[in-house]
Amino acid sequence: MIHSDFTQTMILAELEDAVGRENCSVKPVDKLTHSVDYFWLPRMWADRGCIMPQADVVVSPKNAQETSKVLKIANYYKLPVTPWGGGGGTQGGALPVCGGILLDTKRMNEISDFNEQGMYIECGTGSIYKHIEWAANERGYATMHYPSSLTCSTVGGFLAHRGIGVVSTKYGKIDDMVLQMEVVLPNGDIIYTSPAPKHAAGPDLNQIFIGSEGTLGVITKAQMRIYAQPEERRFRGFLFHNMTDAFNAGRELLQKIKPSVMRLYDEAETASLIKKIVGVSKPGAFMNIAIEGVSEIVAVEEKILLETFAKYGAEDLGSEYGEKWWKEKITFFYPGHMMDLPQMFGTMDSIAPYDKIEKIYWAMKEAIETNFPMARFIAHFSHWYEWGAMIYDRFIVDEVPEDPHEALRLHNAIWNCGVRTAIANGGVVNDHHGVGMKLGRLMKEQYGPAMQVFEGIKKSLDPNGIMNPFKLGL
Amino acid sequence: MLISQRSKETIDACRFCWMCRHVCPIGNATGQERNTARARALTLSLVERGAAPLTDVIDNVYECALCGGCTNNCMTGWDPVKFTKEVRLEAIQNGEAPEYINKLLDNIEAAGNVYGITETAAEITNLISALPTQADTLLYLGTDVRCKNPAYAVDAAAVLQKAGVTFTVLKDEPDSGAALEFLAGEAEETRQTAEACAKVLGGYKKVIVLDPADAKIMKHEYREWDVAPDCEIVTFTKLLSGLIADGTLVPQKLPVKAAYQDAFALVRDLDEVEDPRVIMNACTNLTEMLLNRKEMIWGGNTLMTEYMPDVIRLVAKNRWANAAHIGAKLLVVASPSEYVALASVKPEDMELMSVPELVLASL
Repeated sequence: MIHSDFTQTMILAELEDAVGRENCSVKPVDKLTHSVDYFWLPRMWADRGCIMPQADVVVSPKNAQETSKVLKIANYYKLPVTPWGGGGGTQGGALPVCGGILLDTKRMNEISDFNEQGMYIECGTGSIYKHIEWAANERGYATMHYPSSLTCSTVGGFLAHRGIGVVSTKYGKIDDMVLQMEVVLPNGDIIYTSPAPKHAAGPDLNQIFIGSEGTLGVITKAQMRIYAQPEERRFRGFLFHNMTDAFNAGRELLQKIKPSVMRLYDEAETASLIKKIVGVSKPGAFMNIAIEGVSEIVAVEEKILLETFAKYGAEDLGSEYGEKWWKEKITFFYPGHMMDLPQMFGTMDSIAPYDKIEKIYWAMKEAIETNFPMARFIAHFSHWYEWGAMIYDRFIVDEVPEDPHEALRLHNAIWNCGVRTAIANGGVVNDHHGVGMKLGRLMKEQYGPAMQVFEGIKKSLDPNGIMNPFKLGL
Repeated sequence: MLISQRSKETIDACRFCWMCRHVCPIGNATGQERNTARARALTLSLVERGAAPLTDVIDNVYECALCGGCTNNCMTGWDPVKFTKEVRLEAIQNGEAPEYINKLLDNIEAAGNVYGITETAAEITNLISALPTQADTLLYLGTDVRCKNPAYAVDAAAVLQKAGVTFTVLKDEPDSGAALEFLAGEAEETRQTAEACAKVLGGYKKVIVLDPADAKIMKHEYREWDVAPDCEIVTFTKLLSGLIADGTLVPQKLPVKAAYQDAFALVRDLDEVEDPRVIMNACTNLTEMLLNRKEMIWGGNTLMTEYMPDVIRLVAKNRWANAAHIGAKLLVVASPSEYVALASVKPEDMELMSVPELVLASL
């Protein structure tokens, strides 16, 4: 926090010189707007009429050069810098909890190269991903990155927290979709990762910065992969008697083919969200599969799918539910369809190999429901690999303490319980929402002495600790 | 804030939802987080809870173009435009509106138009003098045409004359109330202005409305406020598409690849999506931009150019870029106000035409 009006104005003038006065704001509206992201705690805080910590100044650089100038100023004055893309993160990763500079990346939204030969779009990381998708669609391609936050989050935001979309089983996570990146280091140096991601020229620099949540620098430009539009995308809905059958069926299927969409809902979520949005009213565990690509191959894959799932007693619900789900896949997240205040809720996504994932589900369900009887627990499994799957489990509390401090304590206690249970049973702190401020305290419990690797990189690149303090446990 | 319960509910629904940010023309142009429905809702929810004063956030309430892109996108049916207009009224009533907005309101009071222009443009004067003073049909030009784009009126009148339509244009045309409604929402002054205008319009059998913004208030709010005149109100583009469809006008296609910029009042408020396309397809080779019809992205008008010209220029530049992406050489617009904004940043290698200008060139 900058306390002196004189010093603040001196620094402000330097920042204005770096990015232009119109792109440098100390207006209350800009500070307020950047003080609340999608994390439940700041939302609750604001709902109670409380003001979250604010940045001293909001800057919007246009490119790496301007970002470099901002970071050099920040380093000189030892000011915290919090990068902000779309603000749609659920983990508090973009909250300027220490004040200082909030660096909004959305002016870095230029598409500098649409490379059909190389099958990538090179763009500023402030680009809204949906805009990149539009650009791809305009030329007959697709980005194949379709998270629920597609329309509100930026390329940089997805890279910073290792995001994932609904067709990930075939096309991969965001870290599979990027070629080269431009990064501004905390000292202001502008660097480029290797021209191609698969190499033997040492560790992959991309993977050092992807998932670093702005703690190691600012990703300012990226080459994001594009894909040919599939000739055909076929959906098939199934109802399994139980989760065990579904996991076994899913694991076997993935040894044979790669669907694009693969989503298994537990009985509780099938009976709530899926019933409401998709219309499946029978008891059981609903699973939605999409297979896509060249039509001839799709037909063969569909045959394999039906044969495999039939072995596990899955009821074939046809294509209707899957198509409806695809059409409504983002509807889930509009207000009125999604959990919302005054409820307390959270998604404790984790990931593990098949030998552990179902155990994690039952352990977390029992831990949450036993220790917090006021909480409901629902889950789905939406990203699958040959070796394992992720669990997207959610808790919902309807009666929340009115006092915001007590509400915060209850929230964090539920999270501690859920994530520690996941870790104890072979899971990971998080699958694709990131760590942010929400889970930073649990990173050391996850990694133990391995955490010193992250800490060493952080110390080396950011000795003044200016970049996104109190995030990622760094 | 003294706003409706529905608006309060909308503010609370939108305050943590970013799902429509990608369609906001202002936010896309500025890259500023505050230019989202979510940011406006969040800050207003804090105002409602006494955590922030309205004066801290009111500028941002006026940065919204009220284009309805967010409303159109919302899968749940929330309408951020409604609370934005209600908060504008609240600010004006409490003396908390920005000074530049008060100046525009003062202009309306002093000069009868938001721009404070007191003299009628020569093109308009000449046009009126060449037309009959009495007719069953009135061509309603609107403030933006009279003050900022008189050529639009001249071309529109010429098209109607070629179609054999007998009409008149008023020398002292009453204000429709569109500008007041934009600035102050459903204020008493807006209703009074609307009522006075409706009384004049009621003296004609048919009123052809040139500016979609005027048509929108006449066909929507006049009805809501129970002041709708007993006459047929038709947009210029709808009338024109009919004249082409029934063979009254027979344009020849211009050999150019053209894009059409959907006017948001036409497509989103009046649901007139295909009429302009009848005109476009008759007069040129229409190629659709990726974002078209109700999904199109445009916001801003000549009124906003008065207090945030740089942003409106950026919005217009983005739309030119959309047209260039599909290889269009000509961009055609159905709103006189959007014409002005697009003309201010027209690329050298592309052409801009209004709908009446296009039809005239094709006849």
